[in-house]
Amino acid sequence: MIDKIVRWARVKSPWILHFNTGACNACDIEIVAALTPKFDLERFGAQLKGTPRHADIILCSGPVTRQIKDRLTRIYEQTPEPKFIVAVGSCACSGGVFDGCYSVMGGIDTTIPVAAYIPGCPVRPEAIIDGVIKLLEKIDTPLPSENATAQGIAIGGDRN
Amino acid sequence: MDLVVRLVYMLIFPGFLFLVFYGMACDWVDRKLYARFQNRVGPPWFQPLADFIKLLSKEEIIPEAANQNMFRVLPVVALAAALTSFLYIPVWDLTAFYSFPADLVVVFYLLTIPTLAFFLAGWNSTSLFAALGSLRTLIQLFAYEVPLLIVLMGPALLAGTWTISEISAFFVQNPSLLGVNVIGLVVALVAIQGKLERRPFDIADAETEVVGGTFTEFSGRLLAIIHLVVNIEMVVLASLISAIFLGGSFGLGPIWGFILYLFKTLFIVTLLTLLKTLVARLRLEQMMKFCWKYLAPAALFQLLINIVVKAFLV
Repeated sequence: MIDKIVRWARVKSPWILHFNTGACNACDIEIVAALTPKFDLERFGAQLKGTPRHADIILCSGPVTRQIKDRLTRIYEQTPEPKFIVAVGSCACSGGVFDGCYSVMGGIDTTIPVAAYIPGCPVRPEAIIDGVIKLLEKIDTPLPSENATAQGIAIGGDRN
Repeated sequence: MDLVVRLVYMLIFPGFLFLVFYGMACDWVDRKLYARFQNRVGPPWFQPLADFIKLLSKEEIIPEAANQNMFRVLPVVALAAALTSFLYIPVWDLTAFYSFPADLVVVFYLLTIPTLAFFLAGWNSTSLFAALGSLRTLIQLFAYEVPLLIVLMGPALLAGTWTISEISAFFVQNPSLLGVNVIGLVVALVAIQGKLERRPFDIADAETEVVGGTFTEFSGRLLAIIHLVVNIEMVVLASLISAIFLGGSFGLGPIWGFILYLFKTLFIVTLLTLLKTLVARLRLEQMMKFCWKYLAPAALFQLLINIVVKAFLV
């Protein structure tokens, strides 16, 4: 019963942290666009938070550069459990066109566990919202191991 | 029997439970109206409750360098002060649950304790952003506190008492004198925005400047308590304004008085939300300038009007 209530609250109140792991800023602009009154993420209870301590979902955009790797790990560790990482954009999913570049580690999942992948270059705000909502649905129906963070869920698609 | 009544006062009404749920309701009204003013849909009615439960279930991280006990206790101190201050404000009746001479001053100082507790909490969390935010909180205190106190003195002067219940009763007997305090009401509403750290005075937790402000390092249960304190402060301040500037419940008896109380407090929350929607964030020195150049003189002017009215009309 308490588990159910807690899960309900978790799904209804995802607080978001936006973190740029080395993106070209296109995905960041789309993430910011998704948070504007036009798309109104607050109707799902989502709020943009400034600090990882308040966040539940971290929206990461861009390939992980060698420079940002330590910072990303640190931000991830600063976030209280339960936390979910969403890779926003093709680069964040797999490294994109930067994959194999000398200064780039690859996708977000080379560094920290990712819960949802949203491809697109750049992703549209609708795709981001769709991806996050699908992640929330996934949280609502837990996997047998109760550990969605480690499982990795491929989500959404590019609507361009 | 007396003990049971006191426990009910403290824990159910008008104490903990009522304030928690009414605080959440006010928070939802605020957020929903804010969304509607921005042409958005806004959060569903259970949003503050969902946020609260979620925060309760989250991991609690305390920085190693911070004083562990202080970090845990300070939000609770703030909560206790905010809850206590409500006992002296009349709700449906003309008399409050506990009332003694000059309780307005006590309520005013009890309402300052959360701000000071937040300052200490931010300072104690040993994070750069929290320290910056908490310093801003403290500097802000000097800007809005003086106009607010002066403006609360106005009706007290008119009624000739420092007791909230008696001020409320005085205005019920002389409703025409409520019109004298219009400037005071406006000043009080603006100053309250500062006290609640809402736009245009949300300088202390401006997320684009100082990350999470005072509460940067807080997570889980402690953050839930802090959000609760802010909501309860909003209810207490709205009730205070309603009792002092709007005549409270007009002594209409439990049911109608309570409905009138809800109506008036929600009206004040609506005005606060409207103000929040209309304006953008000020810088710290702009806020100082505004509060001391315009707000404090306006409050003094209101006091002057009240003195003149008191001397010639009452």
